[in-house]
Amino acid sequence: MVIVKRKELSLSEKLYIPEVLRGLSVTFRKMFEPKITRQYPEEPLVKTDVTRGQPRLVVNENDTIACVSCGLCEAACPAYAITIDGGETDRAIEREPVRFDIDMLRCILCGFCEEACPKDAIYMSDELELADYSREALIYDMDKLKRPKAALQKRIDYVNRINTRWQTPSST
Amino acid sequence: MVKITVNGRVVDADPTKPLIRACHDNDVDVPMYCYHPGLSPVGSCRICQVEVKQGDTPGRVMVACRTQPVEGMIVDTESPKAHATRRECLEFLLKNHPLDCPICDKAGECDLQDYTYDEGQAEGRSNEPRRPMEKRKSLGEVIVLDEERCILCSRCVRFFEEVPKKAQLTVSDLGSRSTISTFMDRPLSGNYQGNIADLCPVGALTLKKFRFQARVWNLVKMASTCVECSRGCSIQVEVLRGSDVKRFRPRANEKVNGHWMCDVGRFAFGHANAEGRLEGARILEGVTMLQFPIEDGLCAVRDALMATKGALFVLSPFCTNEEGQALLDLAKRHQGEIAFVAPGPNALKDDLLHTGDPCPNRRGLTELGIAGQAPGDLLKRIASAKIAIVAGERVVELLGTAAVKGLPGTVALYAFECHPVESRALRCEIGIANHVERAGTVVNVDGIRGPLAAVKPAPRGVRALGRHLEDLARLSPRKETASR
Repeated sequence: MVIVKRKELSLSEKLYIPEVLRGLSVTFRKMFEPKITRQYPEEPLVKTDVTRGQPRLVVNENDTIACVSCGLCEAACPAYAITIDGGETDRAIEREPVRFDIDMLRCILCGFCEEACPKDAIYMSDELELADYSREALIYDMDKLKRPKAALQKRIDYVNRINTRWQTPSST
Repeated sequence: MVKITVNGRVVDADPTKPLIRACHDNDVDVPMYCYHPGLSPVGSCRICQVEVKQGDTPGRVMVACRTQPVEGMIVDTESPKAHATRRECLEFLLKNHPLDCPICDKAGECDLQDYTYDEGQAEGRSNEPRRPMEKRKSLGEVIVLDEERCILCSRCVRFFEEVPKKAQLTVSDLGSRSTISTFMDRPLSGNYQGNIADLCPVGALTLKKFRFQARVWNLVKMASTCVECSRGCSIQVEVLRGSDVKRFRPRANEKVNGHWMCDVGRFAFGHANAEGRLEGARILEGVTMLQFPIEDGLCAVRDALMATKGALFVLSPFCTNEEGQALLDLAKRHQGEIAFVAPGPNALKDDLLHTGDPCPNRRGLTELGIAGQAPGDLLKRIASAKIAIVAGERVVELLGTAAVKGLPGTVALYAFECHPVESRALRCEIGIANHVERAGTVVNVDGIRGPLAAVKPAPRGVRALGRHLEDLARLSPRKETASR
C-alpha cells in the first residue's frame, strides 16, 4: 500500500486570503486576454477544408442523383448505418436508389462511405449539428440527404486534392 | 482412369472428360468462362489455358477445357507462361467490357471480376473507346441482355441447344459487332430460360425479376429444396435482410437436377414472401375469431381431440417427413384417420425436370403410410367427419379455398396454416412456418432425400408445425382419460 503524505501548508496558505487573491489575480488577468471560448450555437463553428461532417448525397447539375445504389458504402460502413434499395431508371445509368437511409445515430462520421464510393456520389459535408426529438427522425432518408453538388464542392475539391497526392500517374 | 501430374501432384483423371475437370476435381483452380460442367466444351474464351508437357516436348500452353488427359501428362496451371497467356486473353476480354460493376447485378459473383482481381490487371492499355452496344435488350419475359457486357462465351447458346434441346439463341453478326440474339428478335420461350442468367459468367444476361433488387453480397444463402413439384430440385435460397426471399437458384446435384431448374420453381418465391400471415392462434369465441396465445390454441385442439374420437387429419403434401410422422403418431393416439391432399398432375410436366406433380413430398408421406387422396374426396370426408384437423402450408389452397369456406358448420375444423382460413366450420387456427422458415426433409419422386432449410426467421408468433405438434404431444396425457 502506498501512503501519500500531504504537503505541510505554509503560513500564507493556512491564512487562505492570500491564496484567494492569487486565484482572483489569474481571473482578472484573463479578463483582458482575447477570448478563446465560443458562444455555440449562436456563434457557429469555424469550418475548414478538412471538416468531416455528416455524409450527404450529391445531386448533379441536371437534378439527378449521382448515386447508382451499388451498395459499396453500405458494405464499407463499419457501423451498419447505411441501408440501400436499388431500382431501375430510364436514365442511361440504368440504376438508382429507391431508398437510401443513413441512421445518423449509428453513423460515426468515419468517411469510409466517401472513400468507397466509385461514383463520387457521397461526400462528408460540413454539417455537424444533429438533434431531434425522436430516434426515427434521425434516420435520414434520401430527401434529407440530398445536397446540390455546389454545396459540397469544397469537400469534393479537398478529396480530389488529397487523392491526387497519392495516385501514381495512370498509364492510359 | 489415367495418372497425370497437376502442379507437381499425381492425380487420377478421367480421359473421357476434359483436363479442366481433373484440375477442378483436385481443388486446382483454373478459371473458366465458356466451359461449364453441364455443357459441351468449345474452347472459345481461351481463359483456361495451362502449360502441358508430354514426354520430352517442351511445355505448351493449351486450353484445359478442350484437352483430354493422357497418361503421364504434366500440367502446370501456375507457370509464368500460362499466367502470361491467360493475362493476355483477359486483356482482350476486358477490351470492350464496360466498367459497369457498380450497376451490374453480377458484381460480387462475377467470374470476370474475380479473375481480374486475381490477376491484378486494373488498367487497360488500349486508347480506343469501347464499342457501344444496346444496354437493355429484352429477350422475352424473363431475361434482359446487356450486349456491352457480353464476352461471347456462348454458354447460353449451347444451353438451349443441349439442355431443353430447342435452340433459341445464336451469335449473330461478325467481329466486334458480334452479339447474342434470337431469330428475328423473337422473345425466348420455354420453362428453362432463367438458367442462362445463372450460366452467364458476366452480367450480360440478368433476370428481370432480380434486376437491381439486391446486391449479391447482402444475400444470405442456404441450401434447400424446391417444393414446386415432386422433382425436388436442389436449390439455394437467397434472402435479403432476413425478410425477403429474392432468388431461388439451382445447386449442382447430378442425381436430381444436374445444374438446372425450371422457371416455375425459380420464380416461386411469391408464396415464401406472401403478406398477411396467420400469427399466433385464433379461436372461435361465440361468433367471432379472437386472437389468443399459441398455447390456448393448442389446448383447444387437445380438448377437441380428447372429447371426440375418430378425428380426420388432413395433411398438406408440403409437410416434411418429420411433420408427417408426428401427425401420424398424433392420429394413432387419438384413433383418428389420416390422409394427405394429393391434387392431380398439372399441365407443367415436361421431359426435363418438371414432373407435373404438385405434391413435393408425395413419396415421403406415402412411404410413412399416409395415403394421398384427391381434394374432392377429402372434402367429402371432412364434411361428414365430426372433427377435422387440416395441417400444413397451402393445405386450404389445395383443398379449394371456396370449398373450405362452404364446409358445413356440423364439422369442427382445426387448421394449422400459414394464412388465415375462412370457413363456417372453423373452430381454431394456428399459424405455422412456410418452406423457407423451417427445416425438414422431403423425398422426391425418385426417392432421393432433400433438405429444407430455415433460411429466414418466421414472423412474430409463428412457429414450425413440428414444434406445435411437439407441444401438443406434451399437453395431451399419455393415458387417455374419459372424455369430458
